[in-house]
Order: sequence, then structure tokens, then C-alpha cells
Amino acid sequence: MEEPRIGVYVCWCGTNISKMVDVEAVTNEVKALPNVTIAKNYKYMCSDPGQDLIIKDIKLHNLNRVVVAACSPRIHELTFRTACEKAGINPYLFEMANVREQDSWVHTDRTEATNKAIDLVVAAIRRVRYHEPLQKRFVNVNPATLIIGGGISGLTAALEIANAGKQVYLVEKSDQLGGQVKKFDLTFPHLSSAQQMIRPIVQRVDNHPNISVFLETEIREVTGYIGNFKTAISVNGGDPVELEFGNIIAAVGLKPFNPEVISEYNYKEFPDVITSFEFEEKLLAGRILTVYGKEPRNVAIIHCVGSRNKKYHEYCSRVCCMAALKYVHQVRAALPSANIFEIYADMRAYGKGHEEFYALTTHRQIMFLMYDQQKKLPVINQADRSDNCNMIIEMDELLSGQSIEVPVDMVILMVNMEAQENVKQVVRAIGVSLCGNQFFIEKHPKLDPVATTTGGVYIIGTCQGPKDIPDSVAQARAAAARILGAIAQGSVPIEVTTASVNELLCCGCQTCIGVCPYKAISYDENNKVSIVNEILCKGCGTCGSACPAGAIISKHFTDLQILSEIEGVMSMS
Amino acid sequence: MDFRPKIVAFLCNWCAYTGADLAGTSRIHYAPNIRIIRIMCSGRIEPTFILKAFQQGADGVLVCGCHPGDCHYQEGNYKCLRRFKLLQKFTRQMGIEKDRLRLEWISASEGKQFAELVNDMTKTLLSMGPSKVKSSLEVEHLNV
Ligand SMILES: Cc1cc2nc3c(=O)[nH]c(=O)nc-3n(C[C@H](O)[C@H](O)[C@H](O)COP(=O)(O)OP(=O)(O)OC[C@H]3O[C@@H](n4cnc5c(N)ncnc54)[C@H](O)[C@@H]3O)c2cc1C
Ligand code: SF4
Ligand code: SF4
Ligand code: SF4
Repeated sequence: MEEPRIGVYVCWCGTNISKMVDVEAVTNEVKALPNVTIAKNYKYMCSDPGQDLIIKDIKLHNLNRVVVAACSPRIHELTFRTACEKAGINPYLFEMANVREQDSWVHTDRTEATNKAIDLVVAAIRRVRYHEPLQKRFVNVNPATLIIGGGISGLTAALEIANAGKQVYLVEKSDQLGGQVKKFDLTFPHLSSAQQMIRPIVQRVDNHPNISVFLETEIREVTGYIGNFKTAISVNGGDPVELEFGNIIAAVGLKPFNPEVISEYNYKEFPDVITSFEFEEKLLAGRILTVYGKEPRNVAIIHCVGSRNKKYHEYCSRVCCMAALKYVHQVRAALPSANIFEIYADMRAYGKGHEEFYALTTHRQIMFLMYDQQKKLPVINQADRSDNCNMIIEMDELLSGQSIEVPVDMVILMVNMEAQENVKQVVRAIGVSLCGNQFFIEKHPKLDPVATTTGGVYIIGTCQGPKDIPDSVAQARAAAARILGAIAQGSVPIEVTTASVNELLCCGCQTCIGVCPYKAISYDENNKVSIVNEILCKGCGTCGSACPAGAIISKHFTDLQILSEIEGVMSMS
Repeated sequence: MDFRPKIVAFLCNWCAYTGADLAGTSRIHYAPNIRIIRIMCSGRIEPTFILKAFQQGADGVLVCGCHPGDCHYQEGNYKCLRRFKLLQKFTRQMGIEKDRLRLEWISASEGKQFAELVNDMTKTLLSMGPSKVKSSLEVEHLNV
């Protein structure tokens, strides 16, 4: 290995870092360390002049390694790697020390924060000495796309991709396309017809020459990797059809929560306690009637059913508040003299046009009643004969502070939206993960919301988390754009920080094969060693720590690199 | 000089490291005793790393991964958990008290929990005093 010549750059980040970390002291402290050729500090390292500083120094001082102490590598590692590359050194010969998010922003003692910064920079310097150049690798992209789920998200993505002239395989579990929107009458906040919106979309998908639709079909197993996936599906129990595609979109949506488990609401006991979905059926049928065939004189709408409650689901389903207001308008239009009670825990009107929509409902003669989700749920009881209504809701009304009884003939439960039953089968097949709420996990919650950590696999619509139609559609188009971009390029870069087996050390025990979550390792019978398929490998490093022979190298996270980093953080104490 | 415990922490990139970054973005203050090392997945943790940290003089070692079921690599954290139990047995036999080595789950959104964890561990280590591993290992010339 050529002698490391390291350039170290400490960023002020304006005052973000320099206020709490003595950047000058850090620079001086590391200046004289072995292999450090130059050490500097600068106001904004990520700015163009900051990057130019690195680029010029690399050329001028013949640097072959770079360390930047600044924000989190999750933010600017790529920026600085690219700068290194511009200056002609391999981008992996770079290391970042996180002295902002994990230092200046979280500590209050300047001396301590400065000492910590020194430790972190020393660790980065020690580590980078053992960095090795890694070469970018590319694989070709099959231009077909598999879309799982034919709701508004899946349909939108399918059309976007097919209209660009590329093949789409659209797999839908149920016997029809359209997803939930197909079950709705009107949509908030404009009260426009859901049917008039979804029908033409379904029709265009059905007739599109570039889209093959497979109804009543599910995906059990997908093999391959980004650019080159494969699956076998059997349609109507017939012979399996083999499909090949380069990218995958999961758009399996969510399903309504079953409120039977909430004893307070007596759903199923009382036939006129119905879910939002059952109410949509009535709206689509054109008449709001109780089981007795009568128009209800009192209608209550209960929010947050199974949502925002530790006993059921802690998260907010996001769309039910607005859907509830949509029902207010629809009930008022159909039953001008009915009493309407909005029984809510919080009113969430976060979206474009939502607050205005909320304001409109307040002119519709509605009684808004608030309950405390955490203290006591409203209780739906059978009414007495003398009560002149079917049921009575008992509740502690929060704003008035009083226990009240609400007469009702029909109750609409705004049920939570939760993961599909077979969601585990889907995530396993396509190699993505679920969060604690069983929503698909995106690659980055802010900067990469439709990609996943598995290359070529995208998630859109509500399976990624509850959302309304505009947000679902936006994600669908975003994923389509990403995929069309990859298809246009023809090839895509793949992970380079993968594992590889040193065949001289491998004893053939195959421990690694069992631990790899991506089935990336196989056994070579001829040479009696394990081999990593570097295209499938995601670089998690699990195999490396499991291998009893120390035969696996985790590139960019080698034992030597990590051990040097440990020595580095401890070296100053 | 008063005792300032030093904690070496191994945080997985997707959850715990992101959670620690979030503590920063939310400006949640915590004890400055921790030195964080980023790994891609808690499944990458090797006993050598932990022993190395103790040998270098760490008073405590913290390993943080995603919550079970939340792992970006599907199941890396389960593997870490299984191996960790074994390791804890081993370190205890080496005379490293149980509380000096902790495995905790921190999600990408748990910045506050991360800060609390660091404070809590610092407090425990303060009451325990410095680790004696470094000096005892030096005597035995054990090199890990
Ligand atoms: C009561 C209610 C009212 C709403 N009203 C409105 C409104 O007025 N305006 C608005 O903007 N939003 C509204 N929403 C939100 C809206 O329903 C969602 O934003 C939208 O349905 C999301 O579309 P999607 O395609 O992501 O999921 P979905 O519509 O759920 O579609 C998912 C599709 O995937 C299929 N699928 C599931 N599992 C598999 C599998 N394993 N393999 C293959 N296919 C599978 C399903 O059968 C389904 O067809 C409402 C939601 C609720 C609950
Ligand atoms: S959107 Fe409204 S009704 Fe739905 S869970 Fe959130 S707060 Fe409750
Ligand atoms: S665990 Fe190590 S020694 Fe065993 S087969 Fe895998 S690479 Fe070879
Ligand atoms: S690093 Fe992870 S994904 Fe790659 S081969 Fe090893 S266990 Fe499999």
C-alpha cells in the first residue's frame, strides 16, 4: 500500500459547529499525527469553495486520503466522495467524522465537545488509512416492471410507465382493479365522484397494450436482483407463467381495522353500528337507511376507531378525519333535518384544502363532541323504548367537561387503516422490511421516500403509511420516474461495500449461508468454499461476524478499519 | 481529576445512527461521554470489537440496533441479539460487570430515547467507577 497522505478538513458549519467545538484546536491537535499531510478548517466545507479546497489540495499536495469533520455522513458523505472523485482519487478513500449531529448540537460544554471532536477526527484519520479503493459496478436493467397491487397507486404507476412505452406486469390479489377508491362514492375535499375518477383509469389500464393485468394473483417468490428479477405466477390455477422484470413496485395498500374488538362500540351486536366502508356502500347504493329500512334521524360519526390508542394502533390513519367530514356533507345533503354528531378526539386537517373543508362543515349544523381517547371511549348502548331512538351513546364530553347521552339511530365508525393480512409474504418475496406499525420501510424517511434498501424495489401508496389519494398518486409517479430513469440509463450502479470470501481461509462450514438475509451466499461444491454473489449482497456484514474462520471481508467495514476506529476514539484518553 | 467514563458505542446505520442524528437535529442534549462508531447493521458486531474497546480503556460499550422486526437487513438484529447473549457471558467471565456492556434497540425516530439511554448509562458507569479491564489485560498481554 502506498503511504497514506491524508488531508483533514474541519467544518465550522457557520456557527453550528464552531460555537460548541473549537475548530482551530481540533485542527492543531491532528495536524502532527502520522500520515496527516495537511489539516485545515473552513466555514462551509460542503459549499463549492469548500469542495474546491479539497480538490485543489488533493492535486497540490498529492493527497490520497481525505477526512472531513462536519455534519452526519448521512447528509454529505456523497458530496465529499464526489469531490474526491473529481480530483482523481477513489471516492472510498474518504471518511467523515460526525461533529455536528452527534457532537456540537448535543453537548453544552465546549471543552468536552472539543475533546470529543478530536477523538472522532483521530478515529476517522486512523480508519481512513486502511480504506481501499472500491470500483463502481453496474448491471443491465430489464425494461419491464412488476407492480404488486392494483389500487390507485399501482394503476397510476402502471400507466406512467406503460405510456413511456415500457412493459408492465400488474398483479392484483382481488378480482378487480381500483382498490379502495373503487368502493367510495365521493372524495374529500372537493366532494368529486370517486367512480368518475377511478373508472377511466381502470379502463385505460385494462386496454393498454403495454400492461398485462393478472387478477386474483399473488406473488410468492421473487428471485434475482436489481435490473434482473424473476417470478413465476399461476393464473387461475393454470400452468405457472414465468415473468422477468428489472424493477418492482409494491402498492398493496392497507385494509380496514375490524372494530369488533372494541367492546364499547358493540359493532356486530348492533346492526346500525357500521364502518366507514359499509357506509360508503350505502352511499353508492344511493340511500342512507337503517336496518329497519328507515331514514335515521340521528347519525353519529366516531373518529379514531382503532387509531391513536395504545390498545389497538398508536398511529393516526390520517384520512379518516377528512373522510368523516365528507360524510357530514353527504348525510346533510341526503337528510336535511337529521341531527349529526361528530364525535372526535382531534380534528386533523393537515392537507391542501382540508382546513377550508373543515371550516365549511361548521356551517352544516353539526354538533361537534370531543372525547378523550386515552381516558374513556364513548360507549354505544341499546336505547329504551321510550327514548325515541335506537341507541344511546354515553360519553364524557371534553370541552364542556360533562357526561352526556347522545341519541342515535346510526353510528359510523371511522376505522383505522392497518396492514394487509399477507403483508409478510409480500415483504419476504421482494426483500424489504416492515416498521413496527407494519408499514413498508422506505430507504430514507425524508430524502428517499419511495425507494427501499433493496435496489430496484419501490413502495408507493398506503402500504408505506396511511395517506390520501393525492399523496398516493404523487408517490406512484415518483417511483415511475425513478424506474424510467433507470431504464433510460440501461444499467444501474450496485452496492460496492459488499462481502467477499477469502477462499484460502474459508473452511467450507457454510455458516455464512444460513445467516445471510438476502440469500447472497452459495456453496461451491468443486472448490469446497462459499462464494458471495456481490450483486445480491447488501453489505450488512452479518456473514462476516458469523464466519468462524474469519474468511469474510466486509468491504469498507473491514475488521482492520473498525478496530482502528476504536483505537482512534480511545487514543486521546 | 474526576472520573469521566468513556463509552464506545456501535450504532447501526439505518436505525440507531439515524436516531442519534435525530437527537442532534432536535437539539436534545446528553452526556458527552460517548464515542459513536457507525456500522451498517448490528449483525456486523464481532466480539473482537467489544473486547478491543474494553482493552483500549472504555468504561462501557453500547451496541444499538433497530428494534426487533424493524431491521433494514430483515433479521440482522436478531442475529446480533443471539450472539450478544453469548458475548455477555464471556465478558462477565472476564470480570467485566454486566452493566458495562449493553445492547439496546433504538429506532430512527427515537432521538430522545437515545439521549436518555446515553445519560442513563453514563450515570451507571459514574457510580461503578473506571473499568479495570485495561490494566488487567495489560498484565496478561492479551491482545485482541
Ligand atoms: C374510509 C376512507 C375514505 C377515504 N376517502 C378518501 C377521499 O375522499 N379522498 C382521498 O384523497 N383519500 C381518501 N381515502 C384514502 C384512500 O383510500 C387511499 O389514499 C388510497 O386508497 C390509496 O391507494 P393504494 O393504491 O395505495 O391502496 P389501495 O386502494 O388499498 O389498493 C391496494 C390494492 O392492492 C391489492 N393487494 C393487496 N395485497 C396484495 C397482494 N399481496 N398482492 C396483490 N395485490 C394486493 C388490493 O386488493 C388493492 O386492490 C380514504 C380512506 C378511507 C379508509
Ligand atoms: S385522521 Fe383523524 S380520525 Fe383518523 S386516526 Fe387520525 S385523528 Fe383519528
Ligand atoms: S462461514 Fe466462513 S468458513 Fe464457513 S463457509 Fe462461510 S466463508 Fe467459509
Ligand atoms: S454482507 Fe450480508 S447480504 Fe452480503 S453476503 Fe454477507 S450476510 Fe449476505
